[in-house]
Amino acid sequence: MGGAFASRSVSAYGEFVRLFSNVLFAVSLFAVWGLLTLVGVIVDQGKNPATYFSEYPAPVARAILRLGLDNIYHSQQYLGIIGLILLSLAVCTFKRVMPARLPPLRRVNLEAIPLNATVDVRGDEATVRRRVRDFFQSRGWKIRTREFGGEEWIFADRHNWARRGVLVAHFGFVIIAMGTSIYWWKGFSGSTAVVTGQSVIIPQTGTRIALDRFNYRYDPIRTKTGLIYQPVDYVSVVDVTTKSGTRRKETIRVNQPISVDGTLYYQASYGYAVAFGIAKNGVMLPTEYIKEGEGFPVSGDGPSIRFTRFVPTFDLATGAPTADPRPSNPGVVLSEIDGEESNADVLLPMGKTLSLGGGLSITPLRYALFTGLQYRNDPGMPLVAVGAFVLLSGLCVAFYLLPARLFVLITGAESNWRIRIGATTVKGFEIFEERFAELVEALSAREPIASKTIGILPAKAPV
Amino acid sequence: MTVDQSLLFSAITAYIVGSMVLLSYFFNGNRRLRDAGIVLAVIGCGAQFAELATRWTVSGIWPLTNLYGSLSLFAAMGVALFLAFGWRYGTWFAGGFVLLIASVALGYATTWNEGYMPPVPALQSYWIRIHVPLVISAYAAFMVAFVFALLYLLKHGFEQSLRGPQLVAPAPSFAAPALVMERYGAPIEPGCVRVVRTRRETPNIAAAAACGDPWARWLETLPSLPRLDIMTYRVVAVGLPLLTVGIITGAWWAKEAWGAYWQWDPKETAALVSWIVYASFMHLHTRNQWRGYRCALVNVLGFATVVFCYLGVNIWVSGLHSYKI
Repeated sequence: MGGAFASRSVSAYGEFVRLFSNVLFAVSLFAVWGLLTLVGVIVDQGKNPATYFSEYPAPVARAILRLGLDNIYHSQQYLGIIGLILLSLAVCTFKRVMPARLPPLRRVNLEAIPLNATVDVRGDEATVRRRVRDFFQSRGWKIRTREFGGEEWIFADRHNWARRGVLVAHFGFVIIAMGTSIYWWKGFSGSTAVVTGQSVIIPQTGTRIALDRFNYRYDPIRTKTGLIYQPVDYVSVVDVTTKSGTRRKETIRVNQPISVDGTLYYQASYGYAVAFGIAKNGVMLPTEYIKEGEGFPVSGDGPSIRFTRFVPTFDLATGAPTADPRPSNPGVVLSEIDGEESNADVLLPMGKTLSLGGGLSITPLRYALFTGLQYRNDPGMPLVAVGAFVLLSGLCVAFYLLPARLFVLITGAESNWRIRIGATTVKGFEIFEERFAELVEALSAREPIASKTIGILPAKAPV
Repeated sequence: MTVDQSLLFSAITAYIVGSMVLLSYFFNGNRRLRDAGIVLAVIGCGAQFAELATRWTVSGIWPLTNLYGSLSLFAAMGVALFLAFGWRYGTWFAGGFVLLIASVALGYATTWNEGYMPPVPALQSYWIRIHVPLVISAYAAFMVAFVFALLYLLKHGFEQSLRGPQLVAPAPSFAAPALVMERYGAPIEPGCVRVVRTRRETPNIAAAAACGDPWARWLETLPSLPRLDIMTYRVVAVGLPLLTVGIITGAWWAKEAWGAYWQWDPKETAALVSWIVYASFMHLHTRNQWRGYRCALVNVLGFATVVFCYLGVNIWVSGLHSYKI
């Protein structure tokens, strides 16, 4: 009974190895991976459920939410497929790629090799053999000879080390996976927003970042389709104090992050923060700076207000916001929050008061820019870079070098000799067809040739 | 008309005329047409690179910061790759189709030309001079591979359509293996050089061509199916490493600009889909049973994903790469 169980286990293990080392299985996993990734491209990710119901018919929206397609890249099925691909890659590496060493030197039926040639030459046997060996050696082929049944075979190999290209590429993936794992294990990231004149402390590092000023530049540009305001620069001038107390001024721009104790800080976004005055029965209390998109209670039992967005310039005549991003006649857009819903937006110029009823009113008093910063500490990054380089090297070796073997048999008598050559490669025969013909032509050109024939036959059974 | 506009006009004209000339060569095999087509392709490609260089010189702005610039480079690199492969492997037969796609791409690019505009802050990086040309060159390589795959499918499809009772006898050269065996043993006169190409994967086309079928005679002038398959493989072998480096440099740039090298932005995930399809192609090409027809289909699918990634995502899907103008 124990034997039967062991036999079944071995059989199941064999099936598992056979399946996961199968190239077609790996490609099937690739196909599913590609399909799921494509779904993630087409369906907006990480949106509010209401967004899907507004964008798609209700059954489709429900399907998106139930199947987790709204957050597909972090879904179990997506991570599962990546896991299966990595498993397949590992099994394939050990089962197929690593054992793919040089095939043994043995005689073959040259006529059964689809790529073959004969060259009839004249001369004494020793000279012909030496010249053939010298010819291939001079062209970078590694020559070995073996005798089988009284016949001397010449084996010429080239770029055999390139058989390891796929192994190197697979190894590159492993290094990348290790690098990303180190990030999950030891790294951290986050985002923060700092209002001009204020500061924040990064919880993971204890670094204090104070925003001295934030500047942006938009250039008005007249295009064929009209006037547009092109963003040209975003700059945060910050005062950084590390946990050890070291203090310095830094400038952060898009594409120009700063490094503080190994953590990188990036310019990610910006916006306006507004301090409101809330009056109740004639007594006004100022609020903290509220950032665009944030909600805040007006009073303990009163309504909540959302500061939807800042309008840098609006048209005094029409009261409508303009496209000009430079503040010259600013205002704020507010909405009342009722549960999870926001009521209609109200545009309120800076300094003007909006009555909320019940003796309450709100006035936008002053505004300031805030900067949005992202920070990231990724100790696995160098390893990811090395992995990418190794992966690429492996791909180039696998794609551009062609491991090939020539089987050469010289037969004949006295001064008439026939050189018979067969060629095999790891990528089939067609890819070597032209180079093989060139090789035979070159060999013929050096020999006192009687005749030659290059035959490219339909492939038969494997040689 | 400014210098860059003149160069653009020259390039489009050269591509349109060149594609017609090379398509004529494709159908009748006249070598003078081929040579004229190659000259036009070289002129068009040169004019395009000169136009991009002129835009850069005049404005001081790297010309690949918008869809117009990148589509221009796509067309120019596609033609340049076609010329390189034609020079190395004699694949001039594909020129008409490559130039046709290049002229359509360039014509479409002009609709996105908004003149000289400074790049948005995210694009103000030295990476734009590395990442964008790499990715666009990869797309151009996949375009050329797509043309080879289409020609493969055309020839394969015609061969399949001819299968049936109308062809009673196989083409004469179908008995070639015996011919070679015969020559191995036969006495061959000294000094005689013979190269015997014996394989015939499309016997029905050969037979139909021998019977005077014009389509078959035209398809007979195309390289054999395995050769078309190998050419497809070779071009993808150029494109896939370029795409890989492009994705890697893009990730590095994203890390510098946004703080994370992978953000599942629609553009980068669509590029990943293209990479997956072409990586699958390369894996499938290691299998004898999958080489040829099925790999050609995968290639066509791959190019569809490239078009979606390149144009579809830029135009229809919003994300961090929505640089439409």
